Amino acid sequence: MRAKQRFSTAFNIAIALALAACSHGNSDSGRSSASDFKVALLTPGPVSDQSWNAGAYQGLLRIRDSLGAKISNIETKTPADFEESFRQYGAQHYSLVIGHGFEFQDAAKRVAPDYPKTVFVTTSGNTEGPNLAGLQFDFANPSFLAGMLAGGVTHSGVVGVIGGTELPPVRESFAAFARGAQFVNPKVRVLSSYIGNWDDVSAGREQALAQIAQNADVIFQNADAAGLGVIQAARQSKNVLVFGSNSNQNDVAPDVVIASVVINLPHAFLLVANEVKDSTFRGRVISLGMRDDVVQLVLNPKLASRIPAPLVTRIDSVRTAMLHGSFPGADSAASPAR
Amino acid sequence: MMSALYALWAGSFGSWYAFTSGTLVRAVPLMLTGLGVAVAFRAGVFNIGAEGQLLAGAVAATAVGLHGSGMLGPATLPVALVAGALAGAAWAGIAAVLRVRFGVLEVISTLMLNFVAADLVSYLVRGPLQEPLHIYPQSSSIPAIARLPQFGPATRLHWGIVIAVVLVFVVAWELAHTAAGFRVRAVGANPSAAWATGRVPVSRVTTRAFLFSGLLAGLAGAIEVTGVTYALYENLSPGYGFTAIAVAILAGLQPLGVLPSALVFAGLESGATAMQRDAGVPAAWASVVEAGLILAVVGVIALRARARSAAANGGPP
Repeated sequence: MRAKQRFSTAFNIAIALALAACSHGNSDSGRSSASDFKVALLTPGPVSDQSWNAGAYQGLLRIRDSLGAKISNIETKTPADFEESFRQYGAQHYSLVIGHGFEFQDAAKRVAPDYPKTVFVTTSGNTEGPNLAGLQFDFANPSFLAGMLAGGVTHSGVVGVIGGTELPPVRESFAAFARGAQFVNPKVRVLSSYIGNWDDVSAGREQALAQIAQNADVIFQNADAAGLGVIQAARQSKNVLVFGSNSNQNDVAPDVVIASVVINLPHAFLLVANEVKDSTFRGRVISLGMRDDVVQLVLNPKLASRIPAPLVTRIDSVRTAMLHGSFPGADSAASPAR
Repeated sequence: MMSALYALWAGSFGSWYAFTSGTLVRAVPLMLTGLGVAVAFRAGVFNIGAEGQLLAGAVAATAVGLHGSGMLGPATLPVALVAGALAGAAWAGIAAVLRVRFGVLEVISTLMLNFVAADLVSYLVRGPLQEPLHIYPQSSSIPAIARLPQFGPATRLHWGIVIAVVLVFVVAWELAHTAAGFRVRAVGANPSAAWATGRVPVSRVTTRAFLFSGLLAGLAGAIEVTGVTYALYENLSPGYGFTAIAVAILAGLQPLGVLPSALVFAGLESGATAMQRDAGVPAAWASVVEAGLILAVVGVIALRARARSAAANGGPP
């Protein structure tokens, strides 16, 4: 018994020494950081999701590589974490702090006035201030194109949409997808379900299998990590195609992902970071879409043979019309509240 | 590795700001829920539903904060806190009634009610309590009059810490020195013996302890809304109600032990965040380190307890 006690005392001392040692070692290296352009990213989920958060992390890396920024990122868990992390980065004189999701905007709004030299950006947010911007993506047009594609390739006449949770941009994107599908095939039926979270892969698979059991043969998923379960379900089943979301997921499963609605987050982040670095930034709601090369429908070349040529032509002509602002169909009923 | 551990330390106890705004802010809900779990366990009630009771309290406090301020004025804050506490007690009350009337194990009912509460919050932030534009799944922010004051502009620490610490001392004294506290301990130690004395109303004592632990968890939720988030969100709690069980056990189910125990867990949580932010440790690794440290702490305590009991028995363990 005494031996055990002596061991635990020695153990405690060892930990204390280790902490003391590294606190010395670190304080020097911490102070002499190379760059003064510092950029931080707060994500609501893991950056390994091959989707929403992965794209943002790629954007952060792009800012580091293109602009020589010092970067930091954190996966936040609760609204209490949001404000704390914003404040910590503000206090450490970060130039740009990106909260990657609408849920960050209340915290950003509270914190921004206290750190006027830091620019706070919230993705999908709609709040603005002198050093505060919302970054909005136009999902509706590319989702409409995805819907056209789905409506054209379905054999059963049933297509599905599966979301993580019912967030406004997701809901709008799904509505545009449904309109697109019905635009090419008025008889198509659209099943819709939400997983309830963004990270439960097996729940995503269950939802997809349930839709497949109801004859859906094309599924548009927007569920981050949980969406990978939807892709798994499609691979298990025969003749089911899925759409990727947020990042280019065509290579996640080249045999079933027919196309992805890609937000080029690296491009979008770089646009904003450039403004901040050049001091040309103004607080506003920044809206980016197909015209800015930020949101696109990207077809999977490996499944190109599954898409009839006339359908491709038709999609391209609608895309051109959208770029010229002469196609009002996609967001006719979108964002009713704004 | 060293810089990661340093960040863990710096982000939890290493600076005044980290200690007050990171660790203490997280310690408030852990103290209250941990205290509630400790009292329940001492009475032999295995209430593992603090998470759900906390959410129930958060919902009630949000509703009062949003809709009551016009009528209540400066009384909004106290009413919101009381409403949150009562909602927590009511949520625990469902499981208490199920146990006393129908013999349903509270381990199952309280666990299940956690999920019901989480789904209820999901519904409310998309329905009756959603912000007026109906865009985001969250409530509006409660007005300033309904918020717990903070200790100053340079900190996020709010007066909830005072409420939590005072309650810990009050409960510790009650449990050790009053007849009601004695009954709770007696019922928890041996319900049959307590019943056989004919002087302890066993089911009433367990019910009260049950409701009281729900009351504390509900208050924790109300304090979280009025002191930290100011609005109702789906992921309001990172699992405070579950960590509370570990807090109570690490405290040896002693109310006063909840204070240091809650600080340890809050510090780990806060430091793990800093580890990601300042040392570039991936979130998953931060959680692994956090869990490893918890296991180490619990393991050391278990070894000590075993050594002590072996010494008391005068033989090898």
